Amino acid sequence: MGRENFHRILDETQQNVLRMGSLVEEAITRAVDALSRSDVKLADEILRADDYIDDLNVLIETNCLNLLALQQPMASDLRTIAAMLDIIIDLERIGDHACDIAQITKNLANEPQLKPLIDIPLMAAKAREMLRESLDAFSHHDAEIAHAVPQKDDEVDRLYRKVFAELIQFMAKDAKAIGRASNLLLVALYLERIADHATNICERVVYMVEGVPRKLKRSVVEFDQVLAHSDEIMQSGPGSVDQPAGGQARS
Amino acid sequence: MAVRIFLGAALITIIVAVFLTALQGHALRDTVLVVAVVIALVLAVFLAPVLQRPLADRPSEAMAAPSTGPSLGHILDALPAGVITIAADGRIVVFNAAAGEMFGVVADRANGRTLIEIVRNSELDRRVSATLRDGTTETIELMHVGAVERRLQVMTRPLDGDIKLGVLVIVTDQTRMRELEALRREFVSNVSHELRTPLTSVKLMVETLQSGVDLAAQEQFLANIAAETERMIALVEDLLDLARLESGKLELRLSTVDVSELCRQAVAAQRPRAKAAHINLVCSASQTPLMILADRDKLYQVLTNLLDNALRHTHAQDNVTLTVAPRNGEVTIEVADTGSGIASSALPHIFERFYVVDPARARGHSGTGLGLAIVKHIIEAHGGTIAAESELGAGSIFRCTLPVGLQTS
Repeated sequence: MGRENFHRILDETQQNVLRMGSLVEEAITRAVDALSRSDVKLADEILRADDYIDDLNVLIETNCLNLLALQQPMASDLRTIAAMLDIIIDLERIGDHACDIAQITKNLANEPQLKPLIDIPLMAAKAREMLRESLDAFSHHDAEIAHAVPQKDDEVDRLYRKVFAELIQFMAKDAKAIGRASNLLLVALYLERIADHATNICERVVYMVEGVPRKLKRSVVEFDQVLAHSDEIMQSGPGSVDQPAGGQARS
Repeated sequence: MAVRIFLGAALITIIVAVFLTALQGHALRDTVLVVAVVIALVLAVFLAPVLQRPLADRPSEAMAAPSTGPSLGHILDALPAGVITIAADGRIVVFNAAAGEMFGVVADRANGRTLIEIVRNSELDRRVSATLRDGTTETIELMHVGAVERRLQVMTRPLDGDIKLGVLVIVTDQTRMRELEALRREFVSNVSHELRTPLTSVKLMVETLQSGVDLAAQEQFLANIAAETERMIALVEDLLDLARLESGKLELRLSTVDVSELCRQAVAAQRPRAKAAHINLVCSASQTPLMILADRDKLYQVLTNLLDNALRHTHAQDNVTLTVAPRNGEVTIEVADTGSGIASSALPHIFERFYVVDPARARGHSGTGLGLAIVKHIIEAHGGTIAAESELGAGSIFRCTLPVGLQTS
């Protein structure tokens, strides 16, 4: 495989990651839409479409491994391939969460709505926005966008806590609502996880562009300490690195 | 061009003449003469086609200069439709400003990239790939979810010459049209429901009366029929009112009106309904008369519609408060509730005709979507303004400001 062919395959693989990303973005939108309207037909379409997402996942993974095995890529090409292998894991999990939400739609189809969905669609819009921007960062190899996205996770977490508290109240007031409320709680949890996956994608993009692995919701100072004391941490376990003055605790 | 050739020829002739003069009597004189003749012949060969061309075909000085008119790029960016051209290698060649706006991307960043890198829409990607592969022309409608959701009509057409050149994509935004169609369907459905319910009730009561009932029951049924008839008349009046308001044919019957007293009356009329729904309805109006020049009946309709809207979207134990006060030489009327609130995406539309904020939530007691549209028209006909603030889950405030003396818009 010549170098020109290598870059062509690398380029095509990146396109496929973006294709997978667009399918997953659409799956989230449609899943929450189906839940809001109790649309079982749409829910079934989402479940069927997940096969295509899984197929793309396999194709991308195969291409990446072939490139690693046959081409011995270095520097930024190596980081790009490593990043793609991680990103598709997050995308595949997001696709699965969309399917989980579609399945809940089917489970609740014959039951009356517990309450009009307000915060769950807001969470979905926020999580989708984070995913879209993380894929923009990947597409443009833009670390600046990637650094900004995780800041929005706090809003998703806040909405999740609000939905959690409200649904617990429903369950406490009316035992018959427990089934429906717990399903909606799961939906909120899946959306919160989708936002976390978008943060993970941003971390891989930052690594791809800047060449240094980072946890974007922790300060750089704190993470450098982790790298400096890695042997100590491995031997001692959690809590073995002191918080530096001004460092941010992980939320 | 011809001038330059003439000047060039003249210069060469002068140089040759000087040489010949200088070479008088020299052996090279004949050689130089022969060379000069050859140059003249060559120039004649090149000049002949230019001199033979009709004047009309010769490029003028103005056209030979660089054009200062609009470029193809300017023209494409001025088009309302999105235009995307993709070459045979899958790279974007043209991506105009309208396409950038519809897909929420910066158009300048698109050239040289693939479509999926710039516009992450799997359906569009599949359609363009199919056109590039099979050469098929197709028009589809798709939903694009970016920062804003849009309904787009996309036509893909192959660009062919002796070889495949690429794909042309034309995009038009159908979002507003689909929204209006949905509003129209919703309106027809709501009006049909609003009319069918009382008509069904009237029909049943008439059939019961025809089958024979006692006098007391007759009186009750006739009263109910009268009430349902009034309800249908009110709906039709609303429709006609709105039509008149929108066509500018509304005539205001102006008189001096005590707004405080009018507010108290409007609240009193809604109190039984509020009490039945366990909603706390409060009127905050001064006992001192607050006089303005207005159409009393139309203003009462405004207050009724605003209170009706607030009670419709408020739950038991919540509050609805009507406040009226003078402010900065005008009168401000506020109707505030602690009900379900309105999404920020819906707020710009709530004064549009037929608009119902959440049909699912309002199921069972939805209006026709005309009340707020009528309110807006009446307030503006009085030279006033109306605005709404709201937070989902927390409630809404509708604020009308009216001039004390009439200032027609």
